[in-house]
Amino acid sequence: MTSAHSTLSLLVSAWRSSTPMAFVLAGEVMGQRAGVVNIGVEGQMLVGAAAGFALALQTGSYWTGLIGGAAAGLVLSALHGVLCLVRRANQITSGVAVFILGSGLSSYFGTSLVGRQLLGAAVPSVFRDWAGGLLSQTTPTMVIGLLVPLALGWFLFRTRPGLEWRAVGESTSVARALGVHPMAFRWTAILLGGLLSGFGGASLSVDYARSWSEGMTSGRALVAVGLVIMTRWNPLWVTPVALIFGAAETLSLTLQAQGVRLSPYLLETLPYLIPLVLLALDAKVGRNLGLMPASLHEILLPSG
Amino acid sequence: MTSLLRGQLRSSALLGVALFVGLTGLFFWPAGLSPLRMLELLWSGAFGSGYAISETLVKATPILWCALAVAVPAKVGLISLGAEGQMYMGAIAGGGWVLALPTEPSWVLIPGMLACAATAGGLWGSVAGWMKARLNISEIIVSMLLNFIAIDFLDYLIHGPWRAAHSSNWPQTARFPDASVLPPVLAAYRVHLGLIGALLVAAALYFISAWTRWGLIANVLACNPRLSAQAGVSYPKWIILLMTAGGAVAGIGGMAEAAGIQGRLETQFLPGYGLYGFLTAWLARHDFRLIVPLSVVMAAILSLADSLQLSAQLPSSSALIMEGFFFLSVLFFGSGAKASS
Repeated sequence: MTSAHSTLSLLVSAWRSSTPMAFVLAGEVMGQRAGVVNIGVEGQMLVGAAAGFALALQTGSYWTGLIGGAAAGLVLSALHGVLCLVRRANQITSGVAVFILGSGLSSYFGTSLVGRQLLGAAVPSVFRDWAGGLLSQTTPTMVIGLLVPLALGWFLFRTRPGLEWRAVGESTSVARALGVHPMAFRWTAILLGGLLSGFGGASLSVDYARSWSEGMTSGRALVAVGLVIMTRWNPLWVTPVALIFGAAETLSLTLQAQGVRLSPYLLETLPYLIPLVLLALDAKVGRNLGLMPASLHEILLPSG
Repeated sequence: MTSLLRGQLRSSALLGVALFVGLTGLFFWPAGLSPLRMLELLWSGAFGSGYAISETLVKATPILWCALAVAVPAKVGLISLGAEGQMYMGAIAGGGWVLALPTEPSWVLIPGMLACAATAGGLWGSVAGWMKARLNISEIIVSMLLNFIAIDFLDYLIHGPWRAAHSSNWPQTARFPDASVLPPVLAAYRVHLGLIGALLVAAALYFISAWTRWGLIANVLACNPRLSAQAGVSYPKWIILLMTAGGAVAGIGGMAEAAGIQGRLETQFLPGYGLYGFLTAWLARHDFRLIVPLSVVMAAILSLADSLQLSAQLPSSSALIMEGFFFLSVLFFGSGAKASS
């Protein structure tokens, strides 16, 4: 294998492993753009992974699994909506409660899924017939994961509802003055986040891992919430930022496979350590907090 | 607090509990448990016998430590979700001390163990504090990601350099020397000195926050950080200080759990407790006095989950579901009272 070829193959692996979190990241960016922080995405992703896997197993259909996972994430996210939009609960606390419930539900209903292999529900080929080679590894969710941020970026910056969406995130009173109902946008944002994180979870179990295990998202969605700041709340940055996590995970797995004399448990810290270090560097160099939607300040930086 | 608010609080708490009982009852009904049977199990499982009470207090101990650890930085408005990782780091450092000095007497082992635990937990907390104070990165995110790193680090140690020589397939360290194990409060029960320690820390923290200048400064900073100059203090320094102090409390709590219950280090011996503690502190509005009874309530729910596991063979994740329902219910009815406080 030439080195160019192996670099490319690493890039494809990074793309592949960044895909499930790219959906969550895209959803969280859209949520925060409307002024909603949701830590519950981790629970929504877990529920999406379990429900999606169970459905794919039952129906033998890849797409049913993905859609079912997205629906499960959506239902759970509605709880966050009820708590923080209807009942005005604190968003962080509400998110933690949704996170706990989601991880409980996924483990409770997932116990029968442990050790099952997805024999049916084959992953449809995307480029297999005409490209071959490395791109034959491409799966539908990987392509959708690239398209969703593009579509959301277009929506947010090129359409009238997108402008209103951003206005809601900056200031509800300005949005109201524009004749916009902030609550309608925030509900849409939360449910969209639920849909995308559930879909991301299902893509993890049905497409990426092809199996289910308890707590299988291992903090991916929480890393995504952390990385939102690096996207500058712009969906178009979702793909490169998600690749940071994907690259860190690929690095960790590659080093393990090459038998590096470092414990796999230490290597497993890389997908958390690398985003943390980059967050710090980015904050030091980028000064990007000025780009944060104004209404988030009281939630994320109440004292800043 | 006015009596009106008190009444409002009480009724919203009652409504929250009613919603919790309803949700839990409905959820577990298909598994063959009627809501009435659930209440019965809750009582007998959590408080029905001396043993049950002791086990509930055993569960309440780490929740209490964790909630105290969260409430300390919350005094200036910081939100830490990292207590679980800080507890593991504390247990690792304290465990390292006693495992390295197995023949020393108690008076060397226990103070050294607690000092190591407080230092390691404090350092772990200070990372999030430093990133918040110097780089303005949300401490919520950083403290949470540090949990995963701490868990992996503990796994590395118990699978690698610290693994007991003749341990079975279950990865764990050797037993701590007897001189370092925290004795039970009452013989034959598992409640250990860690609970007494947590109560003392709660009392001390309450005293500091209510009766000293430090508590006053924290109150001022929580209301408006810009007043820090008038108060003659540096807000960034206080962020780091309180995140470190919270981490130190969590570190001691993690150590107490390892030394009082497991007697060794194992993988993830406090699953989910970081989140339970976080929400406990929140429900108590970071009042060090209220945290104590609420930790027992949380623990009672965990005890109920244990009895469901035994009597109905439900999976252990029932605990997470019930805790989730509990917080959703209380948040559902609690927010109105919060707005008027």
